[in-house]
Amino acid sequence: MKTFLRGLLHLLRRSRHDADLREEIETHRALRQAALEQDGLDPFSAEWASRRAMGNVTLAVEDAREVWIWRALDQLWQDIRIAIRGLRKNPVFTFVTIATLALGIGANTALFSIFNGLILRPLPVREPARLALLLDGSWSYLVWSEIKARDKDLFDGAFAWANETFDLSRGGQSDFVEAAHVSGRYFELLGVSAVRGRVLNEADDTAAMPDGPVAVISHRFWRSHFAGAEDVIGRQITLQRKSFTIVGVLPPGFFGVDVGRMTDVMLTFAAEPLMRGEESILPAAGASWLNIVARRKPGQTLEQANAALRGVQPQIRAATMGGISPARVERYLTRPLTLVDAATGRSPLRSRFEKPLIAMVAAVALLLLVACTNIASLLMARVLARHRELSVRMALGGSRGRLARLLFTESLIVAIAGAALGLLFAQWSGALLVSQLSTWEGDVSLPLAIDWRVLGFSVALACASAIVAGVAPALGLRSVAAGEALKDAGRGLTGDRRFAVRGTLVAAQIAISLMLVTAAGLFLRSFTSLARMPLGFVPEPLLIAEVDLQASGGPIEQRGERAERLRAAAASAPGVKAAALSRVSLLTGGGWWANRVAIDDGAMPVEDVSANRLWRNATSPGWFDTMGTPLISGRDFTDADRAGAPLVAIVNPAFVKRYQLGQQPLGRTIRIGLPNGERRYEIVGIAGDSVYTSQHDGMMATMYVPLAQIAPLGGTVILTINADRSRRVAVQREVAAALARTEPATSFVFRTFDQFIDARVTQERLIAMLSTFFGALALLLAGIGLYGIVAQAVRSRESEIGLRLALGAQPGGIVRLVFHRVGILVAIGLTIGFAASYWAAKFVGPLLFHIDSRDPATFAAAAGVLVAAGLLAAWLPARRAARLDPARVLREG
Amino acid sequence: MGLTNTPSDLLPGTLELLILKALVRGSKHGYGIVEHLRLASDDVLTVGESALYPALQRLLQNDCVKAEWGTSENNRRARYYTLTAAGRRQLAAEQTEFDRMVGAIQRVLKTS
Repeated sequence: MKTFLRGLLHLLRRSRHDADLREEIETHRALRQAALEQDGLDPFSAEWASRRAMGNVTLAVEDAREVWIWRALDQLWQDIRIAIRGLRKNPVFTFVTIATLALGIGANTALFSIFNGLILRPLPVREPARLALLLDGSWSYLVWSEIKARDKDLFDGAFAWANETFDLSRGGQSDFVEAAHVSGRYFELLGVSAVRGRVLNEADDTAAMPDGPVAVISHRFWRSHFAGAEDVIGRQITLQRKSFTIVGVLPPGFFGVDVGRMTDVMLTFAAEPLMRGEESILPAAGASWLNIVARRKPGQTLEQANAALRGVQPQIRAATMGGISPARVERYLTRPLTLVDAATGRSPLRSRFEKPLIAMVAAVALLLLVACTNIASLLMARVLARHRELSVRMALGGSRGRLARLLFTESLIVAIAGAALGLLFAQWSGALLVSQLSTWEGDVSLPLAIDWRVLGFSVALACASAIVAGVAPALGLRSVAAGEALKDAGRGLTGDRRFAVRGTLVAAQIAISLMLVTAAGLFLRSFTSLARMPLGFVPEPLLIAEVDLQASGGPIEQRGERAERLRAAAASAPGVKAAALSRVSLLTGGGWWANRVAIDDGAMPVEDVSANRLWRNATSPGWFDTMGTPLISGRDFTDADRAGAPLVAIVNPAFVKRYQLGQQPLGRTIRIGLPNGERRYEIVGIAGDSVYTSQHDGMMATMYVPLAQIAPLGGTVILTINADRSRRVAVQREVAAALARTEPATSFVFRTFDQFIDARVTQERLIAMLSTFFGALALLLAGIGLYGIVAQAVRSRESEIGLRLALGAQPGGIVRLVFHRVGILVAIGLTIGFAASYWAAKFVGPLLFHIDSRDPATFAAAAGVLVAAGLLAAWLPARRAARLDPARVLREG
Repeated sequence: MGLTNTPSDLLPGTLELLILKALVRGSKHGYGIVEHLRLASDDVLTVGESALYPALQRLLQNDCVKAEWGTSENNRRARYYTLTAAGRRQLAAEQTEFDRMVGAIQRVLKTS
C-alpha cells in the first residue's frame, strides 16, 4: 500500500522526477568526460566518447521511471485518451448514448432521491435513531398528559405535537399557514436550537405562560414573511385572530417531524384554548389529534421501551376513559401501546405513495435496461465498424484484453458523462415530480438535496450501466482476428454473423418496451375511467367558500343565524344563481360519519367498524338544487325544519339498498346511537346517489339532516355557490365583497371542485403521466435500436442486394427480405414481452381502478403500437435498400 | 567490456548487492559508485548507467539508501547516495546469501 501511494505520488510529480534523473545522469557523463580528459583525450573526443558510453539517456530515464510508475495507471490514462479521441470522432453516437443514459440514470436518480427524501433520510435532529413513535397516529391530550407525567421514568423523555392550519388574516379571505402545537420539551428532546431568539420550553407549555402567548417560526417563513429582518424577535404574528409574540427562528431545513410537510409556525399546546375558546379539545377524551414520540434512553432497546410503556398502560388508560362510549371501551383497553422506530420521522405520504413509488422504480429500472441495451447495441455496431482498426491494433501487438479494456473504458466514460448529466436532470425532474404531489390540501415538500446516498446510487447505476453496456461489445471482440483486415479488404457477401448478438439485444428491447407500453396503457385507462366516474352532482358551475365562524369569536349559539345571513348575502351577489350551506364538502377524502345505525325498531349495533360506514351531511334548504343532485322522491328540507321541530332526514338509494328499506323508505325512522342514548330521524325524501369521500369509493350510503337542526354548529361551514363557470372570477370577487360587507371579521377561503377532484386522483394522475413518459421513451429507444441494426444489416449486405437487383429481383422483394428479418425479431420480442407483462400484471393490479390488469384490449393496443414502431424503423432502411443502384454497388463493391 | 552490464548478466540482485557494498565506506554519487566498482574489481565490472539508475531507484524505493543533492568534484549538482540502517541489514543478509550461492555454484562446478 505504501509503495502504491508513493508510486501515485511519483506519478503526480513525474516531470520533476524525470528532470532530476536527467540532471543526475548528465553529471555522471560530465564526470566521465573529465576522467577521459585526464587520460589524455581532447575535450571534444572526450565528450563524444562519454556520450557514446552513456548510451540512450532517455531510455535510461524511462527504465528508471518504470520502477516507480504503477504501470496500469499509466495505461489507464492512455486508454482514457484513446477512448475520448474515439468518442469525439463520432459526435452523433456519443451524443445519442450520453443523452440516452442521462435520461435513464436521471429518471432513476430522481425517483430514488424522492424515495430517499421520503423514506430513507434520517431527521435532521440529534441522534434520530433513539426516537420512537407511538403507533396508530392520533391520541387525545388526556393520554398525552398521562405519558408526560411519567416520561422521564420511562424514557429520556417524550414529546407530542398536533398539526394545524392557521389563518394569518384578520378577516376577509383566509391566508393559511401550516402550523403545529408542540409540547414543552419538543425542541429539547429533538436537540433543535433556534438560530435567532430561543425555542419553546416547558414554561411556555403551562397555563401560566410567563412570556404570554409565544410562537417560533421556520427559517423559510422568517425569510418569506419578515424578509429575514434582524428584529423579528418580539414582533407579533396573528394566528386565528389571536396575537402571538415571536420568540425564535428555527434552523434552516427543520420543519418538524412530519416528512413532506413544512411546518412554518409552532406554538405550545397551552395556546390551544386561546384559539378554540370553550371548544378547546384539550379535555376531550374522544378527540384523536396528536402524535407522540419518545426519545429512548441510551442503550434502551425498542422492546425495553415498549415493555416500560405497557407496564403503565393500565394507569394511562384508566385515567383517560371518561367520555368514551361503552362500545369502544373494550377495544380501547386491550390493544397494547406500541412504539416503532422513528429515526426517519413520520409521514402519511409514505403509505400513500409507497406502492406507486415502487412500481415507478421498477419501470425506470426497466427503462435504464432498455437504454443500456441500446448503448450495448451501438457500441457493438462501432466494434464492427472499427473491425479493421481493431484488427490492425491486434496485429501490432495489442492484446485482446487490452482492447477489451479500451472498449470498456469507452462505455465507462459514456456512463460517467451520462450519470453527471443525469444528476442534473434528476434535480430538476425530482422537484417537478414532488410539486405534482401538492394539492389544495397542502404543499408537499421533500428534501431532495444530493446526499451521499443519492450520489452513491447514481455512481452505482453508472458502473452497472457501463458493465451491462460494455460486456456485449467486448464479447464481439472475440470475432476479431489479428491481421484479418490486412488479408481481407472487407469485401464479402454475408457480413452479418454478428446479427445474432445484436438481434438478441433488439428482441430484448422490444420485450421490455412492450411491458412499459402495456403498463402505460393500463394506467392511462385506469386514470380516464376514474376521471370519467359519475359524481352524482354537477361540479362545473360550483364554487365553494369555506367559512370560518370560530376564529372571529362570538357566541356559539349564534353561528346558525350568522351562516344563514352570509348565505343570503352570497345568494344576492350578482351572477350567483343559487347558494346553499352544508356541514361537509364532498370529495375531501373524509367527512362526518356514524357507526351505530338502526332502522325502525331494529337492534342497535355495538359498533360498525367496516370501511363501508354511513356518511352524513347537514344541509340548508336548496342544497341539492345548488349541487345539481336530483331529488327522486319526497321533499327537500324547508325553513320549517328548524331546531325544536321534529328531526327529519333525506337519504339516497345507496342508503335504501344498504339498510334494506325496500319500496317504501319514506316515513321510516333512522336511529343513530349516541354515547348516551340515541336520536331518531324520520325519512322525508330521497335524493340521487353521489360520491362522498373520493371517486375511488364510488356512491356512498349517505344520510342528510337539516343544518338548522344541528346544535351546536361546528367552527366551519361550507357555502356552495352555483354560478356560470365562465364568470367564476367575477362572481368570486362579488361574493367575497358581499361576505366582507356582512361580517368584516369573518374569514373564508374559496375552493373549486377541480381542486378537490385533482387532489383525490393525484396518485393515479402521477402514475399515468410517468408511465406514459417512460413508455414513450422506451418505445423511442427500441425504435432507434431496431433502426440501427436494420440499417447496419442493409449496409453490410449492400453488395448482395445489388447483385440480387442486378439479377432481376424486384424492389418489393428486397423490402420483403428486410421486413422478414425485422418481423422475426419483433415477433420474438413481442412473445417474450407478452409473457413478461402477463406475469408482471399481478403487481400492477392493486394500482388500477375499474380495469383488469390483464385487459386484452390494452395488451393488443400496446402490441399494435410496437408493431407500428417496428415497421417504421424497418421501412426507412428497407426503402433505401430497394432504391440501390445495382450498377454502382457492383462497381464499387 | 560491453557498454552495459545488464542485471541479467549477473546473478539476480547482485548489482544491488554491489551498490550497497560500494556505499559502506560513505556516501557516493552514481559515477562514484561505478568507479568504485571498476577499481575494486580491477576493471572487470563496468556497470552501465541504464542498469545503475533503475537499480538505485529500486533501492530508494525499498529505503535501503537515501539520496541527497550535493556538489560533485567538477562543481555540478549531483545526487549522493547513503546507506540506511535497513540497507546495512539488507547488505548483511544478501552477502550471506550470495556467499552461500557462490559456494554452491563452485561445488557444482568442481564435481562435474
